[in-house]
Amino acid sequence: MEAPIEKTTAQKSTETSKRVRLMVKDLARKAHEARAKQEPIAYLFISSAYDDILRALDIVSVGTENYAGLCAAKNCAEPFLAKAESEGYPRNLCTYATCGLGFDAMRRDLGGEMPPNSPDGGMDIPTVMLGTGMMICDPRYKWYQAAQRYSGSPVHVLGLLNPSHYYTHADLRDMRGYYIKYVADELRELVGFLEKQTGRRMDWDRLSQVVDLSEKTIKLWSDAYDLRKAVPAPMPIEDALNAMVPGYFMMGTQLAYDFYRELYDEIKYRVDHKIGTIPNEKYRLLWALSLPPWYGLVIFNYFESKGAVFPIEVVYHPPPPVEIPDAVKDPIERIAWRFYDQMTQRYEKSRSHTGDPWVEWFLELIDDYKLDGVVFHQAMTCRTIHTGQLHQMNVFKKHSDKPVLLLEGDIVDVRNYSEESTHQKVDFFIEVLEQYKARQSR
Amino acid sequence: MSAGMARVEEVFRDRSRRAKELKSQGRKVIGYLCTFTLVEFITAAGLVPYRMTGNMRKQAELAEHHLETIACSYTRSVLDLAIGGSYSFLDGFVIPHSCDNIVKLYGIWAQTVKHEYGHFVNVPHTTSKASLKFFEAELDTFRKSLEGYAGRKITDADLRQAITLHNKQRTLVRQLYEFRKGDPPMISGTEMTRVVGAITSLPVAEGNELLEGLVSEVRDGCYVKKNGKAPRLMIYGTGNDDVPFVELVEQSGARVVIDDLCSGTRPYWFDVGAAGDPVAAIAKSYLEEINCPRTFRQSPGTHEADLENRFGYIYRFVQDFKADGVILYVIMYCDTHAFDAPDLIEYLKSKNVPVLHLEEEYQASALGRLKTRVQAFLETIA
Repeated sequence: MEAPIEKTTAQKSTETSKRVRLMVKDLARKAHEARAKQEPIAYLFISSAYDDILRALDIVSVGTENYAGLCAAKNCAEPFLAKAESEGYPRNLCTYATCGLGFDAMRRDLGGEMPPNSPDGGMDIPTVMLGTGMMICDPRYKWYQAAQRYSGSPVHVLGLLNPSHYYTHADLRDMRGYYIKYVADELRELVGFLEKQTGRRMDWDRLSQVVDLSEKTIKLWSDAYDLRKAVPAPMPIEDALNAMVPGYFMMGTQLAYDFYRELYDEIKYRVDHKIGTIPNEKYRLLWALSLPPWYGLVIFNYFESKGAVFPIEVVYHPPPPVEIPDAVKDPIERIAWRFYDQMTQRYEKSRSHTGDPWVEWFLELIDDYKLDGVVFHQAMTCRTIHTGQLHQMNVFKKHSDKPVLLLEGDIVDVRNYSEESTHQKVDFFIEVLEQYKARQSR
Repeated sequence: MSAGMARVEEVFRDRSRRAKELKSQGRKVIGYLCTFTLVEFITAAGLVPYRMTGNMRKQAELAEHHLETIACSYTRSVLDLAIGGSYSFLDGFVIPHSCDNIVKLYGIWAQTVKHEYGHFVNVPHTTSKASLKFFEAELDTFRKSLEGYAGRKITDADLRQAITLHNKQRTLVRQLYEFRKGDPPMISGTEMTRVVGAITSLPVAEGNELLEGLVSEVRDGCYVKKNGKAPRLMIYGTGNDDVPFVELVEQSGARVVIDDLCSGTRPYWFDVGAAGDPVAAIAKSYLEEINCPRTFRQSPGTHEADLENRFGYIYRFVQDFKADGVILYVIMYCDTHAFDAPDLIEYLKSKNVPVLHLEEEYQASALGRLKTRVQAFLETIA
């Protein structure tokens, strides 16, 4: 096992993204206060379509995946991972989940007290745990089901399905209606569950206002990221991994909207004044569909030391704004429409081109953001995103000659990572990029 | 060996032979994976359902360029065979949404292994009313898709006939399992694995014929095994469609009398309702009655009640088949089973049922590592 990385977090470029750490601390503080006042707290997963409902019901939420990421960034995930292993969860399971389960187990052993050295004061015992049954990510329902043994908190699993992108004898247009209806029905069921568990009543007008605000925020967030197409890159990935927090954990709040307004203005200023991430930008890279090594985000600064910057990334990207007809007034239906259209966005295009909606997106980003290469990171314990990367790379290479790098590591478990070997791979990749660019300029 | 079991051995040894024969006669063969594939629809369309398997005796070298080693080795093995041409006789493939590994396999298969027909059936993870309604609509899409490919309507009468045939198969398999309740059991675990492997490679009516012969033979006393005591075991876990692991357990001195496996009881321990709308009946049965950790069941309240709700059927198997212990045999990277393991172990221990938890790759060569642990477990329960 390697020694923990001395410096885990990366140096940021934008002032707005530097403020996010305080916002994260504030989220934790609100959860502690809610617990003290015996107000409801929900554990949740990101990108699960239920944020607006929680906001409208004033339920404080705790993003458990990202708490594990925080533990990794603070170099204190190891005891929680070890505890989960001692409880019988194999080391190869999702380490977001095992970090969370280990934390829960330790908190139970301490009679409800927070384990020592828990970042931001730890995760409070939830009133409810909201899992999701999606096309991918089995831990989204298995983790909370398992966690019931430690907290006894009730779990509700929300069905959130979208069709596949490939059928030889079926038409997506015939499926759209019943898929959207399913998500809407499940969201209504969730509202009933939350009302029952918390004693709160949904104010449907308020939910409509929250949904409107979320749609405006998504548009603003997306517009801000469009500005990142500029050369030199005004905001790199390490900033984006902070800047996603309001969008994924505070969506539907004025705070999130204001954050992206400020971020937009700052990026615009940097674009207008040609302020880049690094002084001599040589290579512009895409961080593909890969979760980052939260214990080693400093790797992005290493790339930058070699003249390479990530102007854009596929993960934690803002969800694409979608057009919802004015006739769709019901806020639940609007959320369901948004979910469906976001999940199936590149299906039709990919059918007549690469056959893979993700690769389709990579190619679009490469053109739009003027990128020179692609970097994947294989997080060893996450099958959800990190199986099928080899296939994506194969498909990508059929449609693009841009150099590709595959790094290996994990999301939380630093034992799956070697900083030295990663640096060697990056060094070699930089040489490949240099040769590629030399060939291009001939 | 009886004629029936000899036929099982013959079919199991060359599982694709009959499907290839049928194809040469103009029938269309549809490959599928997983218990959640709704075989009734494929049969009703006049197509031949063929359950694909992996090969534990072969390294999945061809799959290595497409699917990472962190993916379940069973799905990698199946993909490896497909890329190598072992499934080139198939006209189409159907993959249900059961788990992350299978979902990923579908996308890769679609682009890597070319078939005339490909369909993905989305199966909800929950059993809510909305999930059931959705699943009915999804099955309607599946029905239309098969109609489009087969070039014929699938009538309700076709579906009811297919339900009858597949229910009959389930009944016959359960009858064979009944013969394992006695001491000594009349059919071994290794033999039962071959039986299931054989019938899932045949059209349902032919599989039923084979099963009827076997049931008669066992009833007539062709399968009286040697006497003597041996520990009786249940095997719980993931896809275990080949015999090496069961053989290892039985050669270590145990008798495998019952299982909860996708290649064992899981597809056969329920019936599709015969009354009413056939699509609704199929949807309800598959969604609510298949016990697989990929389907989330709402906790009735306390942790203890949750365990009983999720695993009570396993303890009933243990009691009904008088199993002395349970082996949890989980193929590595099967997250749904791995998440359940601590809860299941706790539950079985609370019932004083000895448990051995094994996690290994889907590779015959890897099983040697497990032998000592199996033997030690047998000593503790002897």
